Amino acid sequence: MDPASTTINVTETPKERKGKAPLLSAPPASSGIKQMFQKGPKTGYKRGLAVFDVVLRLAGIATALGATIAMGSTDQTLPFFTQFFQFKAEFDDLPAFTFFVIANAITAAYLALTIPISIVCIIRPHLVAPRILLIFLDTVMVALTTAAAGGAASIVYLAHNGNGDANWPAICQQFNDFCQKVSGAVVASFLTVVVLMVLVVLSAFAL
Amino acid sequence: MKVGAVKLGVAPPAANRGIAILDFFLRLIAITGTLAGAIAMATTNQTLPFFSRFVRFRAKFNDLPSLAFFVVASSIVSAYLILSLALSVLHIVKANAVNSRVLLLLLDTAAMGLLMAGSSAAAAIVQLAHEGINKVNWFAICQQYNSFCKRVSGSLIGSYAGVLVLILLILLSGVALSRR
Repeated sequence: MDPASTTINVTETPKERKGKAPLLSAPPASSGIKQMFQKGPKTGYKRGLAVFDVVLRLAGIATALGATIAMGSTDQTLPFFTQFFQFKAEFDDLPAFTFFVIANAITAAYLALTIPISIVCIIRPHLVAPRILLIFLDTVMVALTTAAAGGAASIVYLAHNGNGDANWPAICQQFNDFCQKVSGAVVASFLTVVVLMVLVVLSAFAL
Repeated sequence: MKVGAVKLGVAPPAANRGIAILDFFLRLIAITGTLAGAIAMATTNQTLPFFSRFVRFRAKFNDLPSLAFFVVASSIVSAYLILSLALSVLHIVKANAVNSRVLLLLLDTAAMGLLMAGSSAAAAIVQLAHEGINKVNWFAICQQYNSFCKRVSGSLIGSYAGVLVLILLILLSGVALSRR
Protein backbone atom coordinates (compact mmCIF):
# COMPACT_ATOMS: atom_id res chain seq x y z
CA MET A 1 0.00 0.00 0.00
CA ASP A 2 1.23 3.50 -0.86
CA PRO A 3 2.12 5.26 2.48
CA ALA A 4 0.98 8.65 1.05
CA SER A 5 -2.59 7.47 0.52
CA THR A 6 -5.18 6.70 3.17
CA THR A 7 -7.97 4.21 3.03
CA ILE A 8 -11.24 5.32 4.54
CA ASN A 9 -13.77 2.64 5.18
CA VAL A 10 -17.33 3.80 4.78
CA THR A 11 -19.75 1.21 6.04
CA GLU A 12 -23.17 1.05 4.53
CA THR A 13 -25.95 1.44 7.09
CA PRO A 14 -29.11 -0.62 6.59
CA LYS A 15 -31.02 2.60 5.80
CA GLU A 16 -28.61 3.40 2.98
CA ARG A 17 -29.03 -0.10 1.58
CA LYS A 18 -32.78 0.47 1.46
CA GLY A 19 -32.36 3.96 0.01
CA LYS A 20 -34.00 5.69 2.98
CA ALA A 21 -31.01 7.54 4.47
CA PRO A 22 -31.54 11.31 4.88
CA LEU A 23 -29.39 13.70 2.88
CA LEU A 24 -28.51 15.75 5.95
CA SER A 25 -28.43 14.65 9.55
CA ALA A 26 -31.02 16.00 11.91
CA PRO A 27 -30.27 19.53 13.21
CA PRO A 28 -28.77 19.70 16.71
CA ALA A 29 -31.11 20.06 19.67
CA SER A 30 -29.96 23.58 20.55
CA SER A 31 -31.46 25.04 17.36
CA GLY A 32 -34.91 24.09 18.68
CA ILE A 33 -34.66 26.80 21.32
CA LYS A 34 -33.64 29.29 18.63
CA GLN A 35 -36.69 28.37 16.58
CA MET A 36 -38.97 29.07 19.53
CA PHE A 37 -37.94 32.72 19.73
CA GLN A 38 -37.57 33.42 16.04
CA LYS A 39 -40.99 34.18 14.59
CA GLY A 40 -41.34 32.67 11.14
CA PRO A 41 -42.63 34.83 8.30
CA LYS A 42 -46.15 33.37 8.51
CA THR A 43 -46.95 33.15 12.23
CA GLY A 44 -47.85 36.85 12.62
CA TYR A 45 -51.36 36.58 11.25
CA LYS A 46 -51.95 33.25 13.01
CA ARG A 47 -51.26 34.89 16.36
CA GLY A 48 -53.69 37.72 15.49
CA LEU A 49 -56.36 35.21 14.54
CA ALA A 50 -55.84 33.35 17.82
CA VAL A 51 -56.28 36.57 19.82
CA PHE A 52 -59.50 37.29 17.94
CA ASP A 53 -60.53 33.71 18.69
CA VAL A 54 -60.24 34.28 22.45
CA VAL A 55 -62.20 37.53 22.22
CA LEU A 56 -64.97 35.81 20.27
CA ARG A 57 -65.10 33.00 22.80
CA LEU A 58 -65.71 35.51 25.58
CA ALA A 59 -68.49 37.11 23.54
CA GLY A 60 -69.99 33.67 22.92
CA ILE A 61 -70.01 32.92 26.65
CA ALA A 62 -71.94 36.14 27.22
CA THR A 63 -74.61 35.38 24.62
CA ALA A 64 -75.01 31.71 25.61
CA LEU A 65 -75.30 32.58 29.29
CA GLY A 66 -77.77 35.33 28.43
CA ALA A 67 -79.93 32.89 26.50
CA THR A 68 -79.84 30.31 29.31
CA ILE A 69 -80.71 32.77 32.04
CA ALA A 70 -83.41 34.51 30.02
CA MET A 71 -85.14 31.23 29.27
CA GLY A 72 -84.52 29.67 32.66
CA SER A 73 -86.00 32.54 34.63
CA THR A 74 -89.36 32.58 32.86
CA ASP A 75 -92.27 32.34 35.22
CA GLN A 76 -95.47 34.16 34.49
CA THR A 77 -98.64 33.68 36.47
CA LEU A 78 -101.80 35.21 35.10
CA PRO A 79 -103.83 37.30 37.54
CA PHE A 80 -107.02 35.30 37.07
CA PHE A 81 -107.70 31.71 38.02
CA THR A 82 -110.54 29.25 38.16
CA GLN A 83 -111.50 27.17 41.15
CA PHE A 84 -109.19 24.30 40.28
CA PHE A 85 -106.53 25.71 38.01
CA GLN A 86 -104.11 28.61 38.09
CA PHE A 87 -102.72 29.77 34.77
CA LYS A 88 -98.94 29.68 35.00
CA ALA A 89 -96.32 29.39 32.28
CA GLU A 90 -92.76 28.19 32.93
CA PHE A 91 -90.02 27.02 30.65
CA ASP A 92 -90.22 23.42 31.83
CA ASP A 93 -93.81 23.08 30.68
CA LEU A 94 -92.44 22.77 27.16
CA PRO A 95 -89.79 20.08 26.55
CA ALA A 96 -88.22 22.06 23.70
CA PHE A 97 -87.48 24.90 26.12
CA THR A 98 -85.99 22.54 28.70
CA PHE A 99 -83.64 21.19 26.03
CA PHE A 100 -82.86 24.79 25.06
CA VAL A 101 -81.77 25.71 28.60
CA ILE A 102 -79.62 22.60 28.96
CA ALA A 103 -77.97 22.94 25.53
CA ASN A 104 -77.12 26.62 25.96
CA ALA A 105 -75.70 25.94 29.41
CA ILE A 106 -73.49 23.23 27.89
CA THR A 107 -72.35 25.65 25.16
CA ALA A 108 -71.46 28.37 27.68
CA ALA A 109 -69.48 25.87 29.78
CA TYR A 110 -67.73 24.51 26.67
CA LEU A 111 -66.69 28.01 25.53
CA ALA A 112 -65.30 28.77 28.98
CA LEU A 113 -63.35 25.49 29.07
CA THR A 114 -61.78 25.97 25.63
CA ILE A 115 -60.34 29.40 26.41
CA PRO A 116 -57.10 27.75 27.71
CA ILE A 117 -56.73 25.86 24.41
CA SER A 118 -57.12 29.15 22.52
CA ILE A 119 -54.47 30.73 24.72
CA VAL A 120 -52.15 27.85 23.84
CA CYS A 121 -52.79 28.73 20.17
CA ILE A 122 -51.73 32.33 20.87
CA ILE A 123 -48.51 31.29 22.57
CA ARG A 124 -47.57 28.63 20.02
CA PRO A 125 -49.08 29.70 16.70
CA HIS A 126 -47.39 27.00 14.64
CA LEU A 127 -49.02 24.10 16.52
CA VAL A 128 -51.67 22.29 14.51
CA ALA A 129 -53.20 19.79 16.98
CA PRO A 130 -55.04 22.32 19.24
CA ARG A 131 -56.51 24.03 16.19
CA ILE A 132 -57.84 20.77 14.77
CA LEU A 133 -59.33 19.89 18.16
CA LEU A 134 -60.96 23.31 18.35
CA ILE A 135 -62.38 23.12 14.83
CA PHE A 136 -63.94 19.72 15.52
CA LEU A 137 -65.40 20.64 18.91
CA ASP A 138 -66.65 24.01 17.63
CA THR A 139 -68.45 22.27 14.77
CA VAL A 140 -70.17 19.87 17.17
CA MET A 141 -71.18 22.82 19.32
CA VAL A 142 -72.60 24.66 16.29
CA ALA A 143 -74.79 21.60 15.68
CA LEU A 144 -75.95 21.41 19.32
CA THR A 145 -76.69 25.13 19.68
CA THR A 146 -78.49 25.27 16.33
CA ALA A 147 -80.61 22.30 17.37
CA ALA A 148 -81.62 24.04 20.59
CA ALA A 149 -82.23 27.40 18.92
CA GLY A 150 -84.18 25.94 16.00
CA GLY A 151 -86.41 23.81 18.20
CA ALA A 152 -87.20 26.68 20.55
CA ALA A 153 -87.79 29.06 17.62
CA SER A 154 -90.28 26.64 16.12
CA ILE A 155 -92.24 26.45 19.39
CA VAL A 156 -92.08 30.23 19.87
CA TYR A 157 -93.46 30.76 16.35
CA LEU A 158 -96.27 28.39 17.18
CA ALA A 159 -96.97 30.22 20.43
CA HIS A 160 -97.16 33.54 18.61
CA ASN A 161 -99.29 32.38 15.70
CA GLY A 162 -100.99 29.14 16.66
CA ASN A 163 -102.04 26.61 14.05
CA GLY A 164 -105.60 26.35 12.81
CA ASP A 165 -105.17 22.98 11.12
CA ALA A 166 -103.92 21.19 14.23
CA ASN A 167 -106.22 23.16 16.54
CA TRP A 168 -103.37 24.66 18.53
CA PRO A 169 -104.29 28.13 19.85
CA ALA A 170 -101.79 31.00 20.03
CA ILE A 171 -100.94 31.54 23.70
CA CYS A 172 -98.91 34.73 23.42
CA GLN A 173 -101.86 37.06 23.72
CA GLN A 174 -102.38 35.82 27.27
CA PHE A 175 -98.82 35.05 28.37
CA ASN A 176 -97.27 38.22 27.04
CA ASP A 177 -94.20 38.59 29.29
CA PHE A 178 -93.37 34.91 28.97
CA CYS A 179 -93.41 35.15 25.18
CA GLN A 180 -91.21 38.24 25.09
CA LYS A 181 -88.58 36.73 27.37
CA VAL A 182 -88.56 33.48 25.46
CA SER A 183 -88.24 35.20 22.09
CA GLY A 184 -85.28 37.23 23.40
CA ALA A 185 -83.61 34.03 24.58
CA VAL A 186 -83.97 32.47 21.12
CA VAL A 187 -82.38 35.54 19.49
CA ALA A 188 -79.41 35.34 21.91
CA SER A 189 -79.00 31.67 21.08
CA PHE A 190 -78.87 32.36 17.34
CA LEU A 191 -76.19 34.99 18.03
CA THR A 192 -74.20 32.27 19.81
CA VAL A 193 -74.54 30.10 16.70
CA VAL A 194 -73.11 32.91 14.54
CA VAL A 195 -70.20 33.38 16.97
CA LEU A 196 -69.41 29.66 16.89
CA MET A 197 -69.53 29.57 13.08
CA VAL A 198 -67.09 32.50 12.88
CA LEU A 199 -64.82 30.58 15.29
CA VAL A 200 -64.85 27.56 12.95
CA VAL A 201 -63.95 29.74 9.95
CA LEU A 202 -61.18 31.44 11.95
CA SER A 203 -59.64 28.08 12.80
CA ALA A 204 -59.84 27.10 9.12
CA PHE A 205 -57.94 30.22 8.07
CA ALA A 206 -55.34 29.69 10.76
CA LEU A 207 -54.68 26.07 9.85
CA MET B 1 -26.44 27.00 3.43
CA LYS B 2 -29.72 27.76 5.11
CA VAL B 3 -31.00 24.94 7.30
CA GLY B 4 -34.49 25.37 5.90
CA ALA B 5 -33.42 25.03 2.28
CA VAL B 6 -33.62 21.24 2.23
CA LYS B 7 -36.90 19.71 3.32
CA LEU B 8 -36.49 16.59 5.38
CA GLY B 9 -39.07 13.91 5.13
CA VAL B 10 -41.83 13.48 2.56
CA ALA B 11 -44.71 15.92 1.97
CA PRO B 12 -47.93 13.84 2.05
CA PRO B 13 -49.97 14.57 -1.06
CA ALA B 14 -50.89 10.88 -1.12
CA ALA B 15 -52.67 11.13 2.24
CA ASN B 16 -54.46 14.28 1.12
CA ARG B 17 -55.69 12.48 -1.97
CA GLY B 18 -57.04 9.67 0.23
CA ILE B 19 -58.82 12.25 2.36
CA ALA B 20 -60.30 13.82 -0.77
CA ILE B 21 -61.62 10.47 -2.01
CA LEU B 22 -63.19 9.77 1.39
CA ASP B 23 -64.66 13.29 1.27
CA PHE B 24 -66.28 12.50 -2.10
CA PHE B 25 -67.90 9.29 -0.86
CA LEU B 26 -69.14 10.92 2.34
CA ARG B 27 -70.69 13.66 0.26
CA LEU B 28 -72.60 11.04 -1.74
CA ILE B 29 -73.95 9.54 1.50
CA ALA B 30 -74.98 13.00 2.73
CA ILE B 31 -76.80 13.71 -0.54
CA THR B 32 -78.76 10.46 -0.19
CA GLY B 33 -79.81 11.15 3.40
CA THR B 34 -80.76 14.78 2.88
CA LEU B 35 -82.63 14.22 -0.37
CA ALA B 36 -84.50 11.24 1.08
CA GLY B 37 -85.58 13.33 4.06
CA ALA B 38 -86.78 16.19 1.89
CA ILE B 39 -88.75 13.93 -0.45
CA ALA B 40 -90.28 11.87 2.35
CA MET B 41 -91.50 15.01 4.08
CA ALA B 42 -92.75 16.68 0.91
CA THR B 43 -94.88 13.72 -0.13
CA THR B 44 -96.87 13.50 3.09
CA ASN B 45 -100.60 13.51 2.52
CA GLN B 46 -102.98 11.75 4.84
CA THR B 47 -106.74 12.14 4.60
CA LEU B 48 -108.86 10.72 7.40
CA PRO B 49 -111.74 8.50 6.29
CA PHE B 50 -114.42 10.52 8.08
CA PHE B 51 -115.45 14.08 7.41
CA SER B 52 -118.05 16.56 8.48
CA ARG B 53 -120.17 18.56 6.05
CA PHE B 54 -117.80 21.55 5.91
CA VAL B 55 -114.38 20.24 6.84
CA ARG B 56 -112.17 17.52 5.34
CA PHE B 57 -109.58 16.19 7.78
CA ARG B 58 -106.30 16.19 5.89
CA ALA B 59 -102.67 16.51 6.98
CA LYS B 60 -99.92 17.73 4.68
CA PHE B 61 -96.48 19.07 5.42
CA ASN B 62 -97.36 22.65 4.50
CA ASP B 63 -100.09 22.80 7.13
CA LEU B 64 -97.28 23.28 9.64
CA PRO B 65 -94.81 26.09 8.78
CA SER B 66 -91.87 24.41 10.56
CA LEU B 67 -92.21 21.34 8.35
CA ALA B 68 -92.38 23.56 5.26
CA PHE B 69 -89.16 25.27 6.41
CA PHE B 70 -87.61 21.83 6.86
CA VAL B 71 -88.46 20.83 3.28
CA VAL B 72 -87.01 24.07 1.90
CA ALA B 73 -83.83 23.87 4.00
CA SER B 74 -83.21 20.19 3.15
CA SER B 75 -83.68 20.87 -0.55
CA ILE B 76 -81.25 23.80 -0.48
CA VAL B 77 -78.63 21.74 1.36
CA SER B 78 -78.97 18.74 -0.97
CA ALA B 79 -78.63 21.04 -4.01
CA TYR B 80 -75.51 22.57 -2.43
CA LEU B 81 -74.05 19.12 -1.72
CA ILE B 82 -74.61 18.01 -5.31
CA LEU B 83 -72.86 21.16 -6.58
CA SER B 84 -69.98 20.73 -4.12
CA LEU B 85 -69.21 17.32 -5.59
CA ALA B 86 -67.38 19.28 -8.30
CA LEU B 87 -65.10 20.95 -5.72
CA SER B 88 -64.54 17.55 -4.14
CA VAL B 89 -63.40 16.09 -7.46
CA LEU B 90 -61.08 19.09 -7.87
CA HIS B 91 -59.48 18.23 -4.53
CA ILE B 92 -58.91 14.64 -5.63
CA VAL B 93 -57.17 15.85 -8.77
CA LYS B 94 -55.19 18.69 -7.21
CA ALA B 95 -54.32 17.45 -3.74
CA ASN B 96 -52.57 20.56 -2.43
CA ALA B 97 -55.28 23.15 -3.13
CA VAL B 98 -55.66 25.46 -0.14
CA ASN B 99 -58.08 28.27 -0.96
CA SER B 100 -60.75 25.99 -2.37
CA ARG B 101 -60.53 23.75 0.71
CA VAL B 102 -61.08 26.74 3.00
CA LEU B 103 -64.03 27.81 0.86
CA LEU B 104 -65.47 24.29 1.00
CA LEU B 105 -65.09 24.24 4.80
CA LEU B 106 -66.88 27.58 5.08
CA LEU B 107 -69.77 26.50 2.88
CA ASP B 108 -70.04 23.13 4.65
CA THR B 109 -70.36 24.89 8.00
CA ALA B 110 -73.14 27.12 6.69
CA ALA B 111 -74.93 24.14 5.13
CA MET B 112 -74.68 22.17 8.37
CA GLY B 113 -76.15 25.08 10.32
CA LEU B 114 -79.07 25.44 7.91
CA LEU B 115 -79.81 21.70 7.82
CA MET B 116 -79.62 21.41 11.61
CA ALA B 117 -81.94 24.39 12.07
CA GLY B 118 -84.54 22.86 9.74
CA SER B 119 -84.24 19.41 11.31
CA SER B 120 -84.57 20.69 14.86
CA ALA B 121 -87.56 22.89 14.01
CA ALA B 122 -89.30 19.87 12.45
CA ALA B 123 -88.26 17.67 15.38
CA ALA B 124 -89.78 20.08 17.90
CA ILE B 125 -93.09 20.06 16.03
CA VAL B 126 -93.02 16.27 15.65
CA GLN B 127 -92.42 15.85 19.38
CA LEU B 128 -95.32 18.20 20.04
CA ALA B 129 -97.55 16.27 17.66
CA HIS B 130 -96.69 13.01 19.38
CA GLU B 131 -97.18 14.15 22.95
CA GLY B 132 -98.92 17.50 23.02
CA ILE B 133 -98.98 19.94 25.93
CA ASN B 134 -102.33 19.78 27.62
CA LYS B 135 -101.62 22.74 29.84
CA VAL B 136 -101.78 25.19 26.93
CA ASN B 137 -104.48 23.25 25.06
CA TRP B 138 -102.14 21.87 22.44
CA PHE B 139 -103.38 18.33 21.93
CA ALA B 140 -101.44 15.47 20.37
CA ILE B 141 -102.56 14.85 16.80
CA CYS B 142 -100.63 11.66 16.14
CA GLN B 143 -103.27 9.30 17.38
CA GLN B 144 -105.48 10.40 14.51
CA TYR B 145 -102.92 11.14 11.81
CA ASN B 146 -100.90 8.00 12.37
CA SER B 147 -99.21 7.43 9.01
CA PHE B 148 -98.48 11.17 8.61
CA CYS B 149 -96.63 11.16 11.91
CA LYS B 150 -94.65 8.03 11.07
CA ARG B 151 -93.56 9.42 7.71
CA VAL B 152 -92.52 12.73 9.16
CA SER B 153 -90.50 11.07 11.95
CA GLY B 154 -88.75 8.81 9.42
CA SER B 155 -87.72 11.72 7.21
CA LEU B 156 -86.01 13.37 10.16
CA ILE B 157 -83.68 10.38 10.53
CA GLY B 158 -82.31 10.96 7.02
CA SER B 159 -81.58 14.62 7.63
CA TYR B 160 -79.90 14.01 11.00
CA ALA B 161 -77.65 11.48 9.26
CA GLY B 162 -76.84 14.24 6.76
CA VAL B 163 -75.86 16.56 9.63
CA LEU B 164 -73.52 13.92 11.09
CA VAL B 165 -71.85 13.37 7.72
CA LEU B 166 -71.42 17.14 7.25
CA ILE B 167 -69.65 17.35 10.62
CA LEU B 168 -67.30 14.57 9.47
CA LEU B 169 -66.70 16.43 6.19
CA ILE B 170 -65.74 19.59 8.07
CA LEU B 171 -63.31 17.61 10.22
CA LEU B 172 -61.81 16.00 7.09
CA SER B 173 -61.29 19.38 5.43
CA GLY B 174 -59.58 20.65 8.59
CA VAL B 175 -57.25 17.65 8.71
CA ALA B 176 -56.40 18.03 5.01
CA LEU B 177 -55.67 21.74 5.52
CA SER B 178 -53.30 20.97 8.37
CA ARG B 179 -51.25 18.60 6.28
CA ARG B 180 -49.78 20.94 3.75
